[in-house]
Amino acid sequence: MEKKDIRLELLMDAGNGAQSAASMLINEFAKEGKYVFIEPMIPAEISPPKRTPHSMSGAIVRTSNFEISCIGSSSDLMLVEHEILIDRRLNDKEYTKDTIILLDAGDERRNKDGYQAVYNRMDKLGLTYVAFNLPDVCKSIMLQLKGRGKNMVYLGMLTAIFNSNYDKMYHFVKTSYKKLSPEKQDLNCELYKEGYKFAQSEIDVRYSIESKRDDSKKVFMDGNMAISFGAIDSGIKLFAGYPITPASSIMHELAKIFPSYGGIVHQAEDEISAMGTVVGSYFSGVPAMTATSGPGLSLKQEIIGLAMASEIPAIIVNVQRGGPSTGLPTKTEQSDLQACLYGCHGDNTKVILSVADVEDCFYAPHVARYLGEKLRVPVIILSDYATSVSFKVIGEPTQNKLENIDDINDDILERFFLTRFKEEIPMVKNNQSIPGEQGKERRVTGLSTDGDGRVDFSSDAAIDAHNIRNQKMHILKESLQKPEIFGQEEADLLIVGWGSARGVIKETIDKCKENKLSVSGLHFKIVNPLPLGLKELLSKFKRVMTVEVAYGDRYKSAPFARELRNETLVDVESGVCEPSGRPLKPDVIMTKIREVLS
Amino acid sequence: MSSEKAVPKKFSIKDYKADSPRWCSGCGDFSVLVGMRKHMMDAQLDPANVVHVSGIGCSGRLPHYFNTYGIHGVHGRAIPIALGVVLARPDLNVFIESGDGDALSIGGNHLIHGINKNFNCVFVLLDNQIYGLTKSQSSPTTQTGFRTPSQPEGTFMDPINPIQVALGLGGSFVASTADWLSGHFLETMNAAAAHPGFSFVHVAQRCPKYNPEAWDYKSSSWYSFLNHENGVAPDQKFGPDATIVDHDPSDRSKAFEYAQRVPRCFGVFYKDDTTTCYAKVLQDKKNKGEQPTDLFAKVRL
Repeated sequence: MEKKDIRLELLMDAGNGAQSAASMLINEFAKEGKYVFIEPMIPAEISPPKRTPHSMSGAIVRTSNFEISCIGSSSDLMLVEHEILIDRRLNDKEYTKDTIILLDAGDERRNKDGYQAVYNRMDKLGLTYVAFNLPDVCKSIMLQLKGRGKNMVYLGMLTAIFNSNYDKMYHFVKTSYKKLSPEKQDLNCELYKEGYKFAQSEIDVRYSIESKRDDSKKVFMDGNMAISFGAIDSGIKLFAGYPITPASSIMHELAKIFPSYGGIVHQAEDEISAMGTVVGSYFSGVPAMTATSGPGLSLKQEIIGLAMASEIPAIIVNVQRGGPSTGLPTKTEQSDLQACLYGCHGDNTKVILSVADVEDCFYAPHVARYLGEKLRVPVIILSDYATSVSFKVIGEPTQNKLENIDDINDDILERFFLTRFKEEIPMVKNNQSIPGEQGKERRVTGLSTDGDGRVDFSSDAAIDAHNIRNQKMHILKESLQKPEIFGQEEADLLIVGWGSARGVIKETIDKCKENKLSVSGLHFKIVNPLPLGLKELLSKFKRVMTVEVAYGDRYKSAPFARELRNETLVDVESGVCEPSGRPLKPDVIMTKIREVLS
Repeated sequence: MSSEKAVPKKFSIKDYKADSPRWCSGCGDFSVLVGMRKHMMDAQLDPANVVHVSGIGCSGRLPHYFNTYGIHGVHGRAIPIALGVVLARPDLNVFIESGDGDALSIGGNHLIHGINKNFNCVFVLLDNQIYGLTKSQSSPTTQTGFRTPSQPEGTFMDPINPIQVALGLGGSFVASTADWLSGHFLETMNAAAAHPGFSFVHVAQRCPKYNPEAWDYKSSSWYSFLNHENGVAPDQKFGPDATIVDHDPSDRSKAFEYAQRVPRCFGVFYKDDTTTCYAKVLQDKKNKGEQPTDLFAKVRL
């Protein structure tokens, strides 16, 4: 089947290597010139019992001959290790009538009824499925590997199914497991070969994507890697963090390479401590960053407030996961917006950036440094689980090796729809010297102060400080450009989103154009403050609705809808706002659009 | 940090003075303030290269009154903020001022890890055995039975012994002094500052307002001085009736013994200059790192 765009998923029990097989496959896809996007599916537990719904692990891979902006809505092909996993996965409804399911029936003898129930379910849903049994040779090799290696069989099968280059992949498999003994490496290669042979002769499903080779430099990263590299390139010199899913991999990546770039990675005793260390470092003139997720953000709020009041820059990456509380550690949500906006007690004046994709992750630390240091405020970078773990092939970002923040490239600011500050930024405290500067010694405090930085509980001092802190935010507001619009500036409907919603909005609007629907899209990267002129912008549409991975219903506006209503007094509806833990899907938005327009 | 005596002193006591304190009259914090200024002058620290970091409470106000750099942070979290300063700028002289509530209650977790990480700073625990700024609630060191607004029938628990805590956590420098023993205080500060690592200095501090009975500063028969050439000399001027006990601060098990002894002891309990210093480990790692040129080598296709 010749296609422009394919989504496949490989589902196995956790620990069986589905993600590593999928990574190898898409690495090869990418080298062949295809665009790829991969979203791992990871259980929150480390090694949940196998053959249970909790152990579902794997990867969703989308590949195409055009640039992909999101993981899409449904899969064309699912290769699944056993009946329990497909039964679990069908609950997510990411299939269509055209989806083909390849189900390994190797476990059928263990659970005949279970398999039969799943066959019945798939029949009822009208799905096409192929139950297959791996040849005995695979089983005997796997026995020698103590039951491991099935992922290599599946990789072989997928190589055949996707008409990928067998020799290159074989070489890749051969060189990928360097830690294994030569015998085991050979056995893995055998399994790969047998899987390939098996699919060649026994599986009658083929896909191919015409790909064009282009010689421009490309890199393959997930969101958290991009943030780590961005932190280094932006001139940040200290990272303080505490382990938390799904932010930890930023600390892991930096722990490997940061010292080589003159950086320090500090694993703190808790989230609060990590935040304090960032503030201490920045006060001393050394740019610093922390990364966390929802529960950690809640803990950090008091010191973020100290940074606001004492005018110390601080960079906080919040990789959003499902909430409230511990919620869904390995699922995605966009529900922390208001915790970021209002989480500190008292008046909140901090900047909130969001990232649309892996490229934004690389440049966000640069912008965070620029805004944080210019305005001397804390800056939160909002990513989310889906962005943090999704690998994407992107053009190699330009390295900046930024030191002085004034040297930031205009293109980076433009990327976040931001214009360079032209005016002098007022400060509550006139003296902003850093330790070591003689004759300018100063103390900072969370208490109210006068312009000289002295503790002052008078009404005048309090009001002056409030005004100046907010004036700084207003200067940023005035420096924001019109956010990104997809489609016409006037239409029957406008769908609005922020952060990782960009790709889905873009793809949905493309579909609307194909279907001649009068729908436009609007996307925000900087979500606090919001730009001027929004009311006028939104008023040109008959209806406006948000798409966000956060809760809303008829009585309760979803978070971003609430912010836009508050900002503009336009009747912004909470359009798609069902935080299921899965990324937004273009199909779901299309259904909503048709419902709204009918 | 010690100065050469032959060279005329560059910095005088007034170079370390900033705003006027706002504590109650008779508060032991005044003596601590004066003592710490004297220490900075003795060591001829350039005020521009000094950072005082504090939490919240009466002790938290100290940084405001030194004409140095300072961060008056949030309750209990001075240690992580100070660590940020030390990691970023190992060239600076960092002091932390905390209290019994700030350090032993809300900031307990950070105290554990500050002592364990043994980063270079002088940590001063002003122990008045009561919450001052929030008005007289029981603190972790309040005497059992002492009536407070939060425990009106008398404080329930046995107090925490801060010296034992610091020793138990593997403190590399653990000393105790008192705000009214000005000579002893200064010597203790000088010894603490000279120690490479996290120097834990417990200070018995008067609170005439809320817990005047905590420390009987008018008599000296109820305490002893630990005496050793590697420690701090007894202060016989302000503590004439105190007994004197010889104690080698390299003896850790004896240190534990003296930490729980009645009458209590002032002096250097324990000192070990060889303990691993976290900040130094990270600095060395950074300084040893080679400078790679290609950030994307690993991820390029």
